[in-house]
Amino acid sequence: MPPGYGLGVASLLLIEDDLRIRTALTRALGERGHAVASEPTAMGGLQHAIDDPPDLVVLDLGLPDLDGTQLLRMLRSVSQVPVIVATARDDDRVVVEALDAGADDYVVKPFSADALDARIRAVLRRSSTDGAASTIEVGDLAVDLKGRTAVLGGRPLDLRPREFDLLAYLAARPNEVVSKRTLLAEVWQQPYGGADKTVDVHLSWLRRKLGESADEPQLLHTIRGVGVKLVGPPG
Amino acid sequence: MRRRLVLLAAATTSVVLLAFTLPLAVLIDRAATNAAIATATDRSQSIVPTVAVGTAAEISRAVSAVADRDFVVRVRMPSGSVVGRPFDTARHPVDPRLRATEVRSLPDGRVILDQPVLRTDGTAVISTLMSERVLDAGVWHAWSVLAMLAVTLFALSLVVADRLARSMTRPVTELAATAERLGRGDLDARAEPGGPDEVREVGLALNRLAARIGELLAHERESVADLSHRLRTPITALRLEAESVRDDEARGRLTSAVDELTRGVDDVIREARRTIREGVEARCDATSVVSERVAFWQVLAEDQHRRLSLVLPDRPSWVRVSRPDLEAAMDALLGNVLSHTEEGIGFGVELRRDGTAVLVSVRDDGPGFADPSLLERGRSGAGSTGLGLDIARRTALASGGALQVESPAGGGAVVTMRLGPPAE
Repeated sequence: MPPGYGLGVASLLLIEDDLRIRTALTRALGERGHAVASEPTAMGGLQHAIDDPPDLVVLDLGLPDLDGTQLLRMLRSVSQVPVIVATARDDDRVVVEALDAGADDYVVKPFSADALDARIRAVLRRSSTDGAASTIEVGDLAVDLKGRTAVLGGRPLDLRPREFDLLAYLAARPNEVVSKRTLLAEVWQQPYGGADKTVDVHLSWLRRKLGESADEPQLLHTIRGVGVKLVGPPG
Repeated sequence: MRRRLVLLAAATTSVVLLAFTLPLAVLIDRAATNAAIATATDRSQSIVPTVAVGTAAEISRAVSAVADRDFVVRVRMPSGSVVGRPFDTARHPVDPRLRATEVRSLPDGRVILDQPVLRTDGTAVISTLMSERVLDAGVWHAWSVLAMLAVTLFALSLVVADRLARSMTRPVTELAATAERLGRGDLDARAEPGGPDEVREVGLALNRLAARIGELLAHERESVADLSHRLRTPITALRLEAESVRDDEARGRLTSAVDELTRGVDDVIREARRTIREGVEARCDATSVVSERVAFWQVLAEDQHRRLSLVLPDRPSWVRVSRPDLEAAMDALLGNVLSHTEEGIGFGVELRRDGTAVLVSVRDDGPGFADPSLLERGRSGAGSTGLGLDIARRTALASGGALQVESPAGGGAVVTMRLGPPAE
């Protein structure tokens, strides 16, 4: 269990070669309550992670001295510290390779500080509970984050990966209206274009699989012009 | 090729066999005739002493002793009388002036041997008529053996030629199969070099070519990854800086500008990655892609109370577009309709053939475009509408087709992608 998290400040190690990103992220994450140390090179980062173990590592995959995935494997051989990788390569191969090498989550550049912060918190929460309570329950709905399965009223739901991510994101914030812009940024890691219907069509599918319709919503409620919320049981 | 080689062998072998067997057959026939004449000469010689000095009765006995069915023997005495079984002397007259042995061939194929014998009272002639049977003895048998031998040799030459042809064509056929797999985009396909030297060379060259294509694609992938890294890293810094601006309004403006920049860069990277997605050959079944993407968007259309009509052929429509590209183009077009027309407004998708090209039209009953020609050229600058159409336009162009945007007189809007056929 990370010593810092939950008791106050989590110590983060940022391994990123671009000075501007390092500076901006150090400041932005610092403002969001983390203690941030940074290293510009892979080997420096590895040394730092061994000498002064952080609660979480944010690792850029495009480092000048060593491929980020290789560094991740080296790091995994000595430490179980949670790692979020940042990649400019959005092709699935690289992401899958990084997750296979032991990354806990990933963000695609250009990411926002809020999106990264949300992922940092989620990963720290998961690693602090260590899988024991990785299930979110809202009324009849149970979402198992580790097993990536969802059950509604005892019936398992057959969800596509994005639908699961969407449901998990909403279930973690019951009764909170989340804008489509936020969903696109946080779940899809894509910039909002103002008229994008990607979120809407996935919400339609999700509704169907939850066994409800837009006209008679039960769990998923659309607040016109604002966003969507997953409604938990009263009280 | 295999058939031609076998035909060549058949032609050559039959000419050679004819050149040898025909003279041989004639020779066999001659040999049989000569053997019969030799026998007739022997028999005729054996009664010469008796004919020279014997009485008619003695000669008659001697003739009976040597004559049989196949060798009919008669003796014409100097007086003109005939001893032995007479045969048609009118048709086969004997030259009374005969002084030496003579062999005569009759028009019916039979042969007569005339042997003159000097007697005290003049010249007697022993004539021996050989039957056809004895003249042809063993010929038919020898000929049939010869014919069987020729047929066997001919068949053998065909089998050997076929084997040889197959050993030559198999490596070529395998090469063709490998080239076909490479053409379909399986860059791990390699030819097993074999067969004649020339074919082996082609196989090795094909393997080198395949390896080179693989290297080029890998290099392309690296280049795009590098482009992606170089463009997205500064945008990340820009976004983080923009987010840290204190003034809400300025921050809003900056972040939406960064969003727009990001979408533009995503689009550039997506386009740069097209060759990687396409691989060696871009190809997909438009019928299945259109049907699948319409089914995906249909749920949102239903939630928005829209009527949706779909017209698809019941067979595959192959086009020169990679599947992910056509999916993205369809998503852009369908997403556009759902974003830019009021809920409840119906729309339709139609896929039809036009010669070798495939036309995919997305039509809606909305207000239509103000100036379709601007959108066609991809110069709309109309935010996401333009971008969506840009994806469709570039996909259509890359396939060898075009994008057509119309606002028909009856209202609504029709966007049609003309997609080219896959390379042959």
